[in-house]
Amino acid sequence: MPAKPLKRTFDKWLNKRMPPANSVTLNQRNVFILPTREGIYFTILIVCMLLAGINYQNSLVFALAFLLFSTLMVSILHTYRNLSGVTLQSAGSKPTFAGDDAEFDINLTRAGVRTYEALQLGWQNDDLTGADLVEDEQCLLKLFFPTSQRGVLNPGRLLIQTRYPVGLFRAWSWVDLDMTAIVYPHPVVAGPLPGALSGTGDGDALQRDGVDDFYGFRDYQSGDSLRHVAWKTYARSDDLLLKEFATNVDRRVWIDWEYLSGDGIEVRLGKLCYWVIQLAASQDEYGLRLPGIEIEPGRGLEHRNKLLVELATFGLDDKDKPGESL
Amino acid sequence: MTFYQIPRNSLAWMLASQVAVILPHVTRLPVWIVLVVIGCVGWRTMIYQGRWSYPGRWAKVGFVLTGLVGIPLGYKGRVYGLEPAVSLLVVAYVLKLLEMHLKRDAYIVILLGYFVATTEFLFFQTIPYTLYMLVTVAMITASLIGLNQTQTHVKPLKTFRLALILLGQALPLMLVMFVLFPRISPLWSIPLQSQTAKTGVTDSMSPGDIATLSKSDGLAFKATFEGAPPRFPQLYWRGLVFSKYKDGTWTRDDLRPSVWRHRQAVPGWVDQIERVGQRYDYSIILEPTHQNWLFALAATDIPEDRDVAMVREHSLVYIHRRGVTSKFSYKLTSHLDYRLEVELDPFFAYRNTILPIEGNPRSRLLAKQVFAESTSHEDYIRRILTMYNTEEFVYTLQPGALGRDDIDDFLFGTKRGFCEHYSGSFAFLMRAAGIPARVVVGYHGGEYNPNGNYVAVHQFDAHSWTEVWLDEKGWVRVDPTMAVAPDRIESGIEAAVAAEDSFLSDSPLSLLKYRQLLWLTEIRLQLDAVGHYWDTWVVGYTPAMQSAFLSEYLGNVDGKRLGATLLAAFFSLLGLVAIVVLMRRSTTPLPAVDQEYLKFTKSLARAGLERLVGEGPIDYAKRVKRQKPELADVIDEVTRLYVDANYKLDGHGDLKALKKAVRAVKLKALTLNS
Repeated sequence: MPAKPLKRTFDKWLNKRMPPANSVTLNQRNVFILPTREGIYFTILIVCMLLAGINYQNSLVFALAFLLFSTLMVSILHTYRNLSGVTLQSAGSKPTFAGDDAEFDINLTRAGVRTYEALQLGWQNDDLTGADLVEDEQCLLKLFFPTSQRGVLNPGRLLIQTRYPVGLFRAWSWVDLDMTAIVYPHPVVAGPLPGALSGTGDGDALQRDGVDDFYGFRDYQSGDSLRHVAWKTYARSDDLLLKEFATNVDRRVWIDWEYLSGDGIEVRLGKLCYWVIQLAASQDEYGLRLPGIEIEPGRGLEHRNKLLVELATFGLDDKDKPGESL
Repeated sequence: MTFYQIPRNSLAWMLASQVAVILPHVTRLPVWIVLVVIGCVGWRTMIYQGRWSYPGRWAKVGFVLTGLVGIPLGYKGRVYGLEPAVSLLVVAYVLKLLEMHLKRDAYIVILLGYFVATTEFLFFQTIPYTLYMLVTVAMITASLIGLNQTQTHVKPLKTFRLALILLGQALPLMLVMFVLFPRISPLWSIPLQSQTAKTGVTDSMSPGDIATLSKSDGLAFKATFEGAPPRFPQLYWRGLVFSKYKDGTWTRDDLRPSVWRHRQAVPGWVDQIERVGQRYDYSIILEPTHQNWLFALAATDIPEDRDVAMVREHSLVYIHRRGVTSKFSYKLTSHLDYRLEVELDPFFAYRNTILPIEGNPRSRLLAKQVFAESTSHEDYIRRILTMYNTEEFVYTLQPGALGRDDIDDFLFGTKRGFCEHYSGSFAFLMRAAGIPARVVVGYHGGEYNPNGNYVAVHQFDAHSWTEVWLDEKGWVRVDPTMAVAPDRIESGIEAAVAAEDSFLSDSPLSLLKYRQLLWLTEIRLQLDAVGHYWDTWVVGYTPAMQSAFLSEYLGNVDGKRLGATLLAAFFSLLGLVAIVVLMRRSTTPLPAVDQEYLKFTKSLARAGLERLVGEGPIDYAKRVKRQKPELADVIDEVTRLYVDANYKLDGHGDLKALKKAVRAVKLKALTLNS
């Protein structure tokens, strides 16, 4: 297809002009503006009026045609004004399982007291989310991107556009906020973990909701005791987490690549993923063995995520792996 | 299929603007179309209010059929013309309302609205109409804006305000384009003739015609003179020349064009008109007549305008090639004293003496007798005029009916007549005696407006008189009305018919009826003068006018230079507008106290103490004080003043003190930084 190389050239040019950055403020360098289809119809209307003015030699018809043309021109300024000065900032992403939608958080900030109305953002042209910066100076947008395979997802450039106020022009920009999201493998239901209870077990079942040792956080669910809410964390981040305590940490389980010999890599990873999820819900300590990788058993959300990230990026190039921030 | 939901704000403006746009058209629309308009707009309003649902297929078919049948029905089968075209547009405009399922449909309704608004100017071009149309255009624009606003904060008036801002910023650009955009002559001729708008002098004259016209106070034209205008009695505005008399009606000579061409006088005959006496330069703005003849004082040079032509008759009659469909302005030069066609082609002399073979025997007999007694043609004319003057002839707007031998009936029976009775019978008596004579119709007099140095001629100034050909003198104007009612010629029709109180008897509200009230007349003349400047400079800004105006101010203008000037002026103005738009912080500026508070947070932010999102002023102050105790007093001061201004019931707070405090914080924060 001849469009492909053209698009590549365009992407290259875009990258040079608007390099990926964590935070982008829109200005004349990165805002494009062109008439919409309605804008073209509007121009045709003006031409018709002009013809009527010429043929009837009617000055007031001329005047009205000129007024509408001038309004069209002035609307370019208003449309541009409604986009320039907006700052887009990446506010992180949430990992997801392949097949679900990855969530990207984007922070919109307005410049000073200038207000912005009817902004539209989205990864693709047809699925846009609206936003306004009228009453608030900031607004946090959650944008979703469909995933199909595990790995590190780069959603590409983000479209931000507006047709405000008259819809005759569209101002837009393609912004690369340098955002990525981890996509875990799609969990594939597998049987019980072979050799599951092969740990050094002390015999006693792990007792969740114990009181002795703090072992991690989990999301607050209604009905949980407020006594164990991690208030400090809440104050910092708005996440309502529950401190979990346990007694008798006693079982160590290995999730091993070698258990699954017959399946393809992706199915294997899916099954491993399934086990990680299962074990994370239990109170076992679990570790992961992949070819060339061994992670000591552990517990808690962080541990679980660490394992899932390993599964997500297993076998992929290093450069695709997420940085330290995860 | 999911239907697009038009934002309510937009729809409200759409419906309102639609009513406003169609309203001035209503009098010209057939009653059927008015019903369709009411039906569609009403139905859509009910849907808007949630009472009705969209019409079914049959209701829509009903509306369409009513529209399709209503137009030819309303215009008596005429489907080709200006009014039917506008009606069709209006029908499409309202029907589309009930078919708005996509966003695109809403745009179509809006664009149609702009176009229907435009067509209004084909009928009226006065200042009040223009202002009204400007408001409707703002309303349509508001509905366009409503389509693109986020639905959560829609306030119809705010939308309208934004529309006004947009149009206000476009206005200076529009003026530049209006003055500089090259005006060109029509690209093709428009056959659209308006039916209702035909007013004024028509192309035939029978007894009673002009008397009827004299009941109208409509404006015919305005003539602006360079220098003082001629005296009132001299203002004979010639329109048409009628050389044919048949069945009681005077009409233009209907010779075939080939005969005319054959009989055409030597080229340049116009130059052989002997012009004597004072020269008058003036321009006329003619109201749309939807006819093609123009009015001028005699004897006139051919105006330099490609739309104007002299017609074939050697009678100094001018026509507009396409018909005057909108106000038309033309420049003229006239000499009131002249000698025209001293040598009259015998063929034309003959054509100007033709009478029907029979009819009006008593008048013929009278002509024969008086002519026999006369010593010369001039003497004959004098005798006839004396007859009008001495016998009991009455000049009246209510002449009464005449029979088959109309001239006999008039001269020997009723003796009551308006100008057309006198001019018609006089020309008849001349022809009966073998003297070439013809009837001229046009206007006489007019109201001089010193505020604008122009003469306004109204329909009630319509007049007809005669021209008689005399040896060595050529065509000479003879006005028999003068013999009967000298008042008419000296001071106008109102004085001439004052006794019978019939002046403008059909329009009791006309301000022109109250010319004796001086203050009212003064106001009317002032308003009229404003309207006249509007007509001259805005409505009458034609290609000719533009090139005259531009060459006066820009020197030698060719297309290239004009284009360059237009672009330069337009874009530098657009640059200015851009500064205004981009410097403007928001469409609704923040209250002054909020602006001050923002300055305050900004200076603290520079010192590394940014206000968090959603942090209230008091919490913010507490946090900052904890981090920078040395700023505590000024911060407290600002916070107290700001909170007072915003939340205390007694209103505005102390802006001055707040400003001062904010400045203090700024200074302290700066020193803190360094």
